[in-house]
Amino acid sequence: METIIETRHLNKAYNDRVIALADVNLTIEKGEFIALLGRSGSGKSTLLNILGGLDAPTSGEVRIDGKNIDFSDRKSLITLRRESIGFIFQSFNLIPALTAQENVEYPLLFNYHDRTTRRERAADLLLLVGLGDRAHHYPREMSGGEQQRVAIARALVGDPLIILADEPTGNLDSKTRDEIFSLMRQVNRERDTTFLIVTHERELGKRTDRTIELLDGSVVT
Amino acid sequence: MILGKLIDYLKVSAHQVARKRTRVFLTALGIAIGVAAVVGTVALGEGVRYQAVEAIKDQSDLTLIEATADIREGAIQFITPAKIDELGAISHVEASSAVVREAYTTKRQTYLEVVGIDPGGIEGVIQPEFLRGENLEPGSRQAVLGHDVAETLQRYEGVRFGDTIPILVRRYDDDGMPVDEEVQFTLVGVLQERDDAFDQVMLIDRGVAQGLRGDETAFDGVLIRVDQPEEVFGVVDGVKDLGLTAKGAFQQIESVNRLMDVVVLILAFFAGVSLIVGVLMIVNTMVTSVFERTREIGITMAIGASPADVIYLILAECFYIGLIGGVLGDLLGIAFTGVINTFGKAFIIAQLGDTFSTFAEGDITLITPEILAIGMVIAIVLSLASGLYPALKAAHLNPVTAIRTGV
Ligand SMILES: Nc1ncnc2c1ncn2[C@@H]1O[C@H](COP(=O)(O)OP(=O)(O)OP(=O)(O)O)[C@@H](O)[C@H]1O
Ligand SMILES: [Mg+2]
Repeated sequence: METIIETRHLNKAYNDRVIALADVNLTIEKGEFIALLGRSGSGKSTLLNILGGLDAPTSGEVRIDGKNIDFSDRKSLITLRRESIGFIFQSFNLIPALTAQENVEYPLLFNYHDRTTRRERAADLLLLVGLGDRAHHYPREMSGGEQQRVAIARALVGDPLIILADEPTGNLDSKTRDEIFSLMRQVNRERDTTFLIVTHERELGKRTDRTIELLDGSVVT
Repeated sequence: MILGKLIDYLKVSAHQVARKRTRVFLTALGIAIGVAAVVGTVALGEGVRYQAVEAIKDQSDLTLIEATADIREGAIQFITPAKIDELGAISHVEASSAVVREAYTTKRQTYLEVVGIDPGGIEGVIQPEFLRGENLEPGSRQAVLGHDVAETLQRYEGVRFGDTIPILVRRYDDDGMPVDEEVQFTLVGVLQERDDAFDQVMLIDRGVAQGLRGDETAFDGVLIRVDQPEEVFGVVDGVKDLGLTAKGAFQQIESVNRLMDVVVLILAFFAGVSLIVGVLMIVNTMVTSVFERTREIGITMAIGASPADVIYLILAECFYIGLIGGVLGDLLGIAFTGVINTFGKAFIIAQLGDTFSTFAEGDITLITPEILAIGMVIAIVLSLASGLYPALKAAHLNPVTAIRTGV
C-alpha cells in the first residue's frame, strides 16, 4: 500500500483560543474511501481545508503523495490544488453563469489545458456521472443531486489523487444522497481516487472502507 | 498560450456579463454618456477647426511662402546663393525666386512697398493674373502694381496704365547725408485682386532694385511656390531646417491650430468630468458583483485559480463594460453632433460672423475615426482602471472564509 495523506501533530487554533484541530495524526492510503464523521464544530472542515492547501495549520506537518506541504509557499499550494486535489462542497458549488459542461471544464482553464482536451475530458466526465444530456444546462436548471454530480465531475477533471468532499450530500434527500454516494464509490473503485468525505450521517459511514471521527479537534480512536 | 488564456477568460466573463445584462448595460451607459460628451465636444472643436482652416485656404494663397533670414544661436543666417539653391531643391517646391524688399515713396509722398523679383519668378511663383497689361521685361525700369496700390495711385496721383511713376529713392552721399534721387518706372501691368499682401505691392525687376540699392549680392527673402496645399507644412519644415524663417498664409492656420488645440483640450476636459460619474458607477457595480459572488470566488480559488486568475476574470468583465460603454458612447456622440449640426449651427455661424460664412455649407462638427477610437480607448481604459480595486479585493479574499460565509 502507498500512503497518500499523512499528518503529524497537526494543530489549528483560531485567535489563540478556539482550538479547531488538536494533534491530528492521520495516515491514509491511496485509493481509500473514507468517511470523516464528527459533531458540528469538531474541526472536519478545518481539516479538509488544510489537507487541500486552502488553510494553513498553526503547527504540524502534512504530507501529500510523499511531499511535505510548505504552507508559506502560495504557489505550491495553488499547484497542489490544481494537480492533486479535487474539492466538492455542500451546495451552491457551481458557477451559476456557466453551463454544466463549462463548469466541469472550469478548473482546466487555470491549468493550461487546450480547448479540445478540456471539452473532451468534461464531456467524458459528464457521461460518467450520468449527465451526458445535460451538458448545456445551467445550474439553476438542474436539481440539487444533478448539481452535485456536476460538482463530482468537476472535481475529477484535473485527474486528482484525492477528492475532498465537505458534506456533499448534506442538502439532498435520502434517495439522491445514496445515489451520489454510490457514484463516488464507483469513481473510487474505477479510478482508484482517494476520497475523504465529510458527513453527519453515521449510516453512510458503514458504506465506506473506514471512518475517521473527530471530537473537539482530535481523532477519536 | 497567454493569448489562449486571455480568450478563455473573456469567454467565461462574457457569461458573467450576459447573466447581468441590465446591470451591465446601465453601468456601461454611465461611462457611455461621458464618452459621448467627450466625442461630441471634440467633434465640434475639430469641425470648427476644419472649417476655419478651409476658410483660410479659401481666402488666401496658402501655397505661397517666403523664406527670410533668421537669427540662430546668435548668428544671422543670410539668404545666400547657396541657400537659394537649397530652398529650390526642397521637395514639393514647384518654383522659387529670390527677392529684395524695398520701401520707396512717390514724388508726392505716397508710400510704396516694393518687391524686386525676376520676371520669371513673378510668373512661376506669384502666378498672377493681370487685370491690365503684362509682366515686366527683364532689367528694365518697369513696374507691376498690385490691385489696391494701383487704385490708390490712380485716385491720388492720377497714375494710369502706361504712365510713368516718379519715385524718390533715398541714397546717402559721401558725407552720409540723405539724397533723394528721382527714378521713373513705367507702369506695365496691374494685377487682379488677390486678397493677399500682393494687393499692396509694387513689383519691379530684382536687378534694378539691387542696382538702386547699390548692393548686388544681398537678398531679403526667397518666395516659394509649393505644389500642393497638403505639402505646405512639410516645405515650411524644410525651410526651418535650413536655418531660415518661413512666413505666409500658413501661419494663420498655425495660429488657428494653436488656439483650437487649447479650446478642444479645455472642452474635452470639462466634458470628461462626466466620466468620473461613469467610473464611480463601474466601481460600485463591480464591488457589488464581487460581494455577491464571494462564495463563488472562494470556490474558484479552491478549484485552482490563483489570485492573478481572479483579477483577470474580473478585469475581463470590466473590459466588456468598457467595450459596450465605448460603442454606446461613440453612437451617442455621433447622435449628439447630429443635434449640434441641426439645431446649433445657425446660432454658431451667427456668432462667428461673415468671415466664416463658409461654415454654412458643411457640417459644423467633424467626426473622425481617431475621435471614435479615442472614445473607445477612454471607455475601455477607464473601465479596466475602475475594475482594479474590486478585482484586487476579490483576489485578496481568503477562500476558506469566502466559502464559509459567502452568499
Ligand atoms: N475563521 C474562524 N475563526 C474562528 N473560529 C473558527 C473559524 N473557522 C472555524 N472556527 C472554529 O473552529 C471549529 C471547527 O470548525 P469547522 O468548521 O472545522 O467545524 P466542522 O466540523 O466543519 O463543523 P460543521 O459540521 O458545522 O461544518 C469551530 O469551533 C469553529 O467555530
Ligand atoms: Mg464544516
